[in-house]
Parts: sequence; structure tokens; C-alpha cells
Amino acid sequence: MEKKVAIAGFRIAAAPDLETTRERLVFDLSKGLLDDLGITRDAVDNFVFCSNDFMDGRTISHVFIGPAAGGYMKDQTKVEMDGLNAMIYASMGIISGQYDVTMVVALSLTGSQASPYLYTDYSLDPTYDRQLKLLNELSAAALEARSYLTAGGYPEELLDVVAAQDLKNAAANPGQARRIDGVSRERIKGSPYYYEPLRELHCYPPTDGGCAMLLVSEKKAKELTDKPVWLLGMGRSTDIYYLGDRDLSTSLSAAQAAERAYAMAGIKDPASELDLAEIMSLFAHQEPLLAEAMGLLEKGKAAAAYEAGDTAVEGRMPINPSGGPLGAHPICATGLIRAAEAARQLRGEAGENQVKKAGVALAHGQDGVCAQQSAVVILGT
Amino acid sequence: MEETKVVTGAWELSTFKFNIEGRGLQLMLKHMKDRKLMGIKCHQCGTVYLPGPFYCRKCHIRIDEPAEVSDHGQVMTFTIGYADVRGNPLDEPRIAPIVKLDGCDSWIMGVMQGCAPEDVHVGMRVKVHWAEETTGSLQDMQYFVPE
Amino acid sequence: MRNVGIIGIGYTPVFVSKRKDVSIVEMISEAVDAGLKNTGLAPEDIDAYVFGNMATFEGVNMPHLWATEHMHARGKPIMRFATGGTIGMAAFHGAYYHVASGMADIAMAVTYEKHSEGDAQVGLMGIITPELMAMLSAGIDVTGQSGMGAIGGGSAGGISFQASSYLHRSGAGIEHIDAIAAMERRNAAKNPYAHLKDPEATAEKIAQTPMVSWPIRFGHICPTTDGATVCILASEEKAAKIADKVAWVLGVANCASDATTANLIDSQITDPAEQLPAIMASKKACERAGIEDPKKEIDYVEIYNGFAHQTLMYLEKVGMCEVGEAHKLLEAGELEMNGRCPVNASGGVVSTNSIGTSALNRVTECALQIMGQAGEHQVEKEVHKAMAHGWGGLMQYCTITILGDKPKKL
Repeated sequence: MEKKVAIAGFRIAAAPDLETTRERLVFDLSKGLLDDLGITRDAVDNFVFCSNDFMDGRTISHVFIGPAAGGYMKDQTKVEMDGLNAMIYASMGIISGQYDVTMVVALSLTGSQASPYLYTDYSLDPTYDRQLKLLNELSAAALEARSYLTAGGYPEELLDVVAAQDLKNAAANPGQARRIDGVSRERIKGSPYYYEPLRELHCYPPTDGGCAMLLVSEKKAKELTDKPVWLLGMGRSTDIYYLGDRDLSTSLSAAQAAERAYAMAGIKDPASELDLAEIMSLFAHQEPLLAEAMGLLEKGKAAAAYEAGDTAVEGRMPINPSGGPLGAHPICATGLIRAAEAARQLRGEAGENQVKKAGVALAHGQDGVCAQQSAVVILGT
Repeated sequence: MEETKVVTGAWELSTFKFNIEGRGLQLMLKHMKDRKLMGIKCHQCGTVYLPGPFYCRKCHIRIDEPAEVSDHGQVMTFTIGYADVRGNPLDEPRIAPIVKLDGCDSWIMGVMQGCAPEDVHVGMRVKVHWAEETTGSLQDMQYFVPE
Repeated sequence: MRNVGIIGIGYTPVFVSKRKDVSIVEMISEAVDAGLKNTGLAPEDIDAYVFGNMATFEGVNMPHLWATEHMHARGKPIMRFATGGTIGMAAFHGAYYHVASGMADIAMAVTYEKHSEGDAQVGLMGIITPELMAMLSAGIDVTGQSGMGAIGGGSAGGISFQASSYLHRSGAGIEHIDAIAAMERRNAAKNPYAHLKDPEATAEKIAQTPMVSWPIRFGHICPTTDGATVCILASEEKAAKIADKVAWVLGVANCASDATTANLIDSQITDPAEQLPAIMASKKACERAGIEDPKKEIDYVEIYNGFAHQTLMYLEKVGMCEVGEAHKLLEAGELEMNGRCPVNASGGVVSTNSIGTSALNRVTECALQIMGQAGEHQVEKEVHKAMAHGWGGLMQYCTITILGDKPKKL
């Protein structure tokens, strides 16, 4: 794909409790971002919001955050999914030639103000799954984890290895909500089971947070930033709802989304062409599962790759150098944060977690139980 | 027509807690004890809000300059309620005006008394009827009456 | 920018109060399959789906996930929008940008609402949940004698402020609201996909319905409807191969101001009848469509009118007539199906409101008029260009779509 859309800047906020209102969070993120770039809301011609009415406990929840983002009397819409989809939608408006500068804002205060698991509970088929009360986000993830470990012939300890790498990276990233100093595999293995084989530290923490990102056309990119990060490809896909009809040991949605994004970006061999990947893995097992599905790791060889340090910051295929969603999962913002963290790497601003040669990166986002939907973007310098 | 089976579900709102923007409201409540209405003015465009938000919608900047607003104003629009949210009829019609207080740019909703439903009209001058004893709560501003 | 056209529409067989014979997902599949049948397309031909409804009304979050297989969307991208009353048009705009950007050649917008399985009033009250909670915790009576009780009227409560402000500013009277409501219920009688139909409706009959919240009578208010609508959009190249008749998208825009109904936690600065967003959105859409004067160039309008006064009010706001003129056009019979400025020949939202579909139906009804496929409710004049309008949120958000019988010159 030609260089048509660039990330001009972003702001991220995440904490267990931000002690704020949605309006103030949105104001601080978007105003801060505009200040970073030395512009005002006048320069923005479109706003794409991403939040969820159930999580906000409020119907049409974007009504109140529109003006806070600077959207008074401007074009606005709301994508109610993971924020990476909002970024993709904002990009469509720019590629089509309609807009030059679009503000994307995704957020939720689920860490402090609501139970994050409600999000999934109310997404279940109300006539069957919700009535049975067996399936929830955690139990479904545990079923998926077991399927993946069994199919790959992996030991349960793989989950500790993955979580240890992520939490180590998260501890070094000031933008993360869960930062544990000196985290070890033993500490992770010692955390209580939620649903076997998933333990507390294998699962994402309830998080308050959000992300604002400014996407711009090629023309505006030159004016606004010295370090544009270009959108090179994007792809999305959806699997069927019922878990019984899916192969839970892999991810159809992630495989197809990545395939489409690679095709658009002209990537033939992702494992060698990509310099890093930011993956929306909400549970430890999802990181290797999704990485395998997207062709970043060889199927069945994930455990060896992690043990060899291939996926670490300094490895051959760094995965979630930011620490990933095990460090923070503000629902609706997490996928957008993956893109922002990938952009941070490409701009060489990732500090302690900086990957050495970062030229092309993948960001992944997901929705639904066990990544029923996936979105992938490829970013480059 | 073959009918389907019905299963029930509820949306449990009680599981949420909300942080709300309290500063502008606190400022307003503090002065209501003295029968004064205190809003916040945008130092850039001059828009006065009551109660004051933390930012100006038009300028997209933080604001915190207190600005006193009159307790007299003008009816901008109104309705007369005959039914509650479930459609059940009320005992007597209820006049609810939205008033633009003098010196304020935002509008405030209230109830109106001392006026027959057929006499209320847009543009009508009204004033706040304060409670006998004010306590610094929203109830201090009891209702609007014709000026 | 590449040209995008509407090549097909699919409705559920009926729009009624209670579809007891189908589940939510089965109802969605009826419309999807109707859309495929009407265009002769197979599910494989659809590159992307865009989905919209108000999830909080039925208590099903992210229903597109549950409905994936019912839309034949396994392996396809689905994007979900949620913007309140405008959701149908937000989804349409979503599908439009999928095709305009080249990310899809054929995209399907899918919308639904099954009000009978939820509670729209609770959903609407949910807009101000945090404020209500705060007031309750402060010991304020939100439904009783306090002025806040007016919000307790759900959408009708807030809307009545808009209606009375509009009447004052336009010079129209309640009798005009009665008359436009009657006209639309008569139009609805000619539309097989309308809900409240009354071929004999008159202003006098509407005037006899009880006053709910002055100046809104029961007869001015939309019903709650079960129904689903899909709309299929294609690139110019694909459209030429698939469809005989195409309604081309000439311009889309939307605009939001400040939330309008005043409340005590967050002060508001906008008159609910001022509707700057409708004025701005229409201006932007016309600009994008290359239209200089909508009064002269637009032949047909579909207004999103959950409440009957809005047909008149928005005709003025979107630029189809001067302020204070709409009720005079109504009196002169110009808004009727054989008039010079026909509006809502479908019966409008005031006759049929399955909220997720309502703003999309404004677009599909404009498309049917342009394609000459509206059947019994086809208007008398030739329709070359049409404008569809939607509003939502707290009366602060408007969307506009302009369609034409010829593609835009690029």
C-alpha cells in the first residue's frame, strides 16, 4: 500500500484506577496530544470514538465525550469494538480522500468503575450461553488455553514463561498499569488459579485507561511530524460465535486478518520481514497462539522460541515488547494501544524496551470470546 | 404463526460506580447557601456555564474562573408533563421550563409554580424561588416563579 | 475518492410491535437473505459487513458476534457502530467508506432493533445514568416534583422542550404537528414495511390523542417496532456488473454539538431546536455532493422524525425551506406524495421505529424513490436527487446522506 495514512502522535493512559471521569480522561488525552503536536482542535476534521455502552453504563456514551475530545461541531462517529477497528475506520476516511486529520479516542474505566467481565457476559447468546451461566470470558479462555496446549504438545509451564516475559517488559514500561518489580516464573506459578490452567497472573488486570491517536494524510504528515509512522496494511476477519464450531487451538480470525494485512503491505514472510509484533493477548496462552496463527512463530515450536529468547525485546521476533495486555487492558482501547506501542518502537522512543532495528511492526486487536474477531495493521517508518 | 419461547434477562446497572465531575457543582452548592448562583466563565471566549464544567466546549481549554449569575432569567423553552416515564398519568400537570439566567450562557432546567399551564410561554421572565432556610443543596433553589 | 452506489436493499417481511415467531438473530437473517435475493448476490460476494443497533435496548452487547453466522459473515470483516438514533446512517456511512477507500468492493450494512425483547425507555434513561445516579445519591427526587422529572419522560420528555421551542421560533402550531403526523400515517398505509398505518388519519383524529408532555401528544410519537434492514453498496465497477438500477452516493456528512437537554451535573449551551449540527451536516453533505441550493436541486427528502414536529423542523434546518416556512408548505399540500417537496412518503420514523434501522431506512427509502421502486408510495415527481437525514444522541447529533440517479463526476 502507498503511504497514505500516518500516525502523527498518540497519548496513552492506563492504571488500575485513574480516579477520573470519562470526560476528563478524554479531555486530557486529546488535549495533551494536540498540545504535543502544537495544534488545536481547529486542525482536526473528523473524530472516531471507541467505547462500549455496557462498559460505560450509559446509552450512546460518546455523546458526553465528543466535546471533551474537541469535537464540538465536528464530524463524529463511534465504533463500538476494540479500538484498532476505530483506527482502521479512521484510516478509510483518509484513504478515501474525505478527511485529512482524524482524532481516534478509545477508552474505558472498567478497572475502577465496572466489572470488566460484564463486557463478555452481556455479549453472550442470551437465549443459551447466558442462561447456562457456565461460559464467561475466563472459562472460555481456559478452554482455549487447554486446547492450545494439548494441540501443540506444550506443558502448562509455557503460560508462566509467556507471562514472565510480558510482565518483565511491562515493569519497564511506565505506560502500563500492572508493573511488578522482579517478577518471576515462580511468582506467576504461585498465583491462584482462576480457571485451570489459567492463573491470576496469566490473565489481564482490570484496567482504567484510554488512548488518543491522531491519524493524518500524507500531506498533513509532512506538516505535523518529523517521525511519521505509516500504515502499510490492514486486515480484519471474524470467526463463528459458537465455541463448539471453532478450532480453539488456533485462531481463524487472526490468521485471516493477518493474511489480508500482509497482502496489502506486500509482506511474504512475516517472521523475517516484521521487526516486532504487539499482540492483543488477554491471557498468556493467547500470545503464542495468535503469533502462530499469524505466522510469526512456527506452529508447535512456540515453547522453544520463548525459551530461546526469540520473542524477547532483544530476540529475533520480539513479541509485546511493551508488556502487552497482561500489563493493562482498558477494554476498547487495548488494540489501539498496541498500534501506539508499535509506533513508539518505530519512532525509537521505547526506552528500556526499545527493539534495536525497528522498521516494520504488526499490531493486533481482538473482540469477542476467544478472539472471535481480529484486526491487524502493519506499520512502518 | 409458530411462537418462540421466552427467556428473561436483566441489565444490572447497580454494578457500576461513576465518578462525576464535582468541582463546578460544589462551587455552585457552596454559594447557594447565600442564595447566590456561581458558575464558571471561559477566560478565552467568555462563555459562562452554570454549573461550571472543567473545560470550555467551544475553546477546548480548561477553565476555572468563577462568575456570578443572576437568579432572574428568561424561559427559553418549556414543557408541561402529563405522564410519568411509564406513561401513567400525573395527578396534576407539571410545568418544567428551561431557563437562561441573566449573565449565563448555559440553560438550566427546573419546575415552575405560581403560574397556570396556559399562561407559561417562551420568553417569559422568571426568577428563582429560594427555600426559607438554605443549606447549600440543590433543593435551596426550589422552583421558578414569574418575575 | 471513488464512486459508491446502493445496489440493493433487504427488509424483514414486516415491521411490527412484536415478532414473536423469530429470535433476534433469525430476524437479522431474514433481512440479510432478502438483500442477497434482491441483488442476486451470494454470501461470498460480500467483502465486508457493517453492523448497527442500540445494544443497550435489548441487553445484548456486541450482537454482531452472536449474529455472525446468521449474516453468513464467518471469515469476513464486520465493523460495529453505535451512535444512538443515527446508528443506521452511521453504519451506512461506515459501509460507504469501506467501498470508497477501496477496502471493499461490495459491503453490506446490517441494522436491526427488536424492541419487544427489551426496554427502550430504560435504554434511553441510560443516556443519563451517571447523572441520575449522582442525583439519587444526593437525595434529589428525579421523577417527582423536581424539574428533573421532565427528563423522566424518556425521549419524549426531552423532546418536548425541543418541540415547544420550535413552535415558538417558527410560528407553527400544534395543529401543524397533528397534520404532519396524520399525513405520515396515511403515507405509511401505502408502505408494506411500515408499522403504524392509517389510511384515514386526519389532523382531527391525531388531536384527540392524549397530551403526554406539552406540546407532544401520543399521536405525535413513534411506535416501538421490531424489524431489520440491510443495504448493499458497491463500487462503480461492480455496480455496473450487478445492478440495473443504482442509487449513487453523492455526499455524506455528520456533525455533533453539545448535549442539549439541560441537566444539573453538566450545563449545556445549546437550544434543542437550534440544531446547528443539522444545518452544518447538510451544508457539508451538499458541498461534497456538489449541490448549491438543496431547495432547487433535491427532489425528495426522508427526515428522521421520532416525533412528528421534527419533519417540519428539520426540513428547515437541512435547507429545504426557510425557517418558519415548513408548516406553510404543509398547509399548501406541498409535502404530500404529489406535492412539490415530498417528504417521508414511507411514513417516516413516526410510523415505524426499530431504532437501529430507522436512520438506514431513511437512506433506503430515498434509494427506492430514485430507483423508482417504491411501489404504492412512489412519489409523483421524478426523483433525481434525494436527501436522507438522521438524528440521535441527546438531540445533538445529525447525519446526512445525499443520493442521486447518476454517479458523481470525479
